Amino acid sequence: MTTKQVFEYTRHAPDHDDPVHGAPMKVNMGPQHPATHGVLRLVIELDGETVTSIDPDVGFLHRGKEKTCESLGWHKFFPHTDRLDYVQPLINNVGYALACEKLAGIEVPQRGNEIRVLLMELSRVMAHLIYIGTTSIDLGAVTIFFYSFRLREELYSILDAYTGHRMNNTYVRIGGVYADVDETVEHMVAEFLETAPPRIDEIEKLLTANRIWYDRNRGVGTISAEDAKRLSLSGPNVRGSGLAYDLRKAQPYCGYETYDFDIPVGTVGDAYDRYLVRMEEMRQAIRICKQALERLKKSKGQDVLVEDRRYVLPPKGDVHTSMEELIAQFKIVSDLRLPKGEAYHAVESSKGELGFYVVSDGTSKPVRCHIRAPGLMNVQAVPVLGKGRLLSDMVAIIGGLDFVMGEVDR
Amino acid sequence: MVIVRRKELSLSERLYLPEIVRGLSITFRKLFEKPITRQYPEEPLPKNEVTRGQPRLVVKDDGNIACVSCGMCEVACPAYAITIDGGETDRPIEREPKKFEIDMLRCILCGFCEEACPKDAIFMSDELELADYSRASLIYDLQKLKRPKSALQKRIDYVYRLNNRWRKSSSTS
Repeated sequence: MTTKQVFEYTRHAPDHDDPVHGAPMKVNMGPQHPATHGVLRLVIELDGETVTSIDPDVGFLHRGKEKTCESLGWHKFFPHTDRLDYVQPLINNVGYALACEKLAGIEVPQRGNEIRVLLMELSRVMAHLIYIGTTSIDLGAVTIFFYSFRLREELYSILDAYTGHRMNNTYVRIGGVYADVDETVEHMVAEFLETAPPRIDEIEKLLTANRIWYDRNRGVGTISAEDAKRLSLSGPNVRGSGLAYDLRKAQPYCGYETYDFDIPVGTVGDAYDRYLVRMEEMRQAIRICKQALERLKKSKGQDVLVEDRRYVLPPKGDVHTSMEELIAQFKIVSDLRLPKGEAYHAVESSKGELGFYVVSDGTSKPVRCHIRAPGLMNVQAVPVLGKGRLLSDMVAIIGGLDFVMGEVDR
Repeated sequence: MVIVRRKELSLSERLYLPEIVRGLSITFRKLFEKPITRQYPEEPLPKNEVTRGQPRLVVKDDGNIACVSCGMCEVACPAYAITIDGGETDRPIEREPKKFEIDMLRCILCGFCEEACPKDAIFMSDELELADYSRASLIYDLQKLKRPKSALQKRIDYVYRLNNRWRKSSSTS
């Protein structure tokens, strides 16, 4: 007797591709995924195309920066701060310098602060331009990528002329900034501040009312102000939810309280609001730059570094002629000591609250240097924002949160 | 505090097709703009005295370098790129480096060595390109690091100018 063999699907062998009855599928997004902005690995559990859970896995770019600080010493850590959030090295420099200055109890001269503010705001524009460029290329708008990188290129030329490098500037020192600049650079900045707003408008014209950008960002990754606070988000991410929290206003540093600028806030708290907030922040940053440039014209010729022979290198000319200064030079280079104690200073970076916590036992090496990276908190928000959304929304969420893995993993 | 305005799409924006034409008109206009791209090896980036390239040792007019192998640059280097072996010499400066090596693969061009040098022996040149066929050949020794003063004059003038500015405002000493 022959029986006809019938092949049928059973419960024991679920069809993974069947969206209705299939078992949940685990997908690795990253660490090589281009939309994760670096080396972030997301273990995503999918039910059909809907994300049911996300497990972010960080640490692929861990280079032990905090420990490096403890072994290198106070001054030599500056080049390493450049490489934390490498799209805005100068803000990292200033954050670390401010923490050290708080510990040492030194005041930066006025012109030093003005240069710092100008460079920090230029860096903020630069970092937001990267956000616009990379997020739009992830969502399919390649044109914006070229427009924003073209504008960013002009900024890099300015930083090149200002600090000597395009990236990794290492321009800030404990007690001020490395060097003053001449008029040609100030003309370059002034020219940029004139030409940049129309170009930013142009980007906005192409994106804000663009149906694709609009549909893929609106209502995606919505987070309330309460939840954002609970996740300790900061920067544009929390301001997009309507919380006007900006360290430049809340705990002013470098004389930000004397500048006239507004904090842009959103109303809904989705990726679209975060985009709008960043666009407005660029305009506000340009506004601050204009004021800083005006002040720089007035304070021409003043000190940019504090005169303090405990922490700041003496002028080279004096080193050649004076024994005192030569001893100071040797002491500062080989054994720069900050007084015993601890200090925390946070700056408003383009990603949020970037804090440096330094502990000194009075020797030339820090006991502890902790970096409060805003990017890490932003990564924390990914599982909350992405749950229940479609897989394709993940790209918009990651792009909208805007983190740099160099800083997250540090 | 300024609340950002969430735009609602108009009918033509929702239809998308007219917007494609508007968007294309923006991108089409770019065809007639001056290009910002640069044909790199033929057209290098402008270099000025602020540019921090690779560190080089200055050969003074008498044919010697000023280095007394005090080791300050070695100490100041955050990347541990510099190795110095000092020795005695009959020249009036009494000490000179027998071995002076900079590992260009480690060097991060931060300029701390230039800042630390008390003898004005090391300066950041404007040489930026770095390529070779082996790692060993990128560890530069004395011969590879020496540059005539004329090649570094712009940077030397810049550093001296900076220091004069500081000296003028210096209250101590």
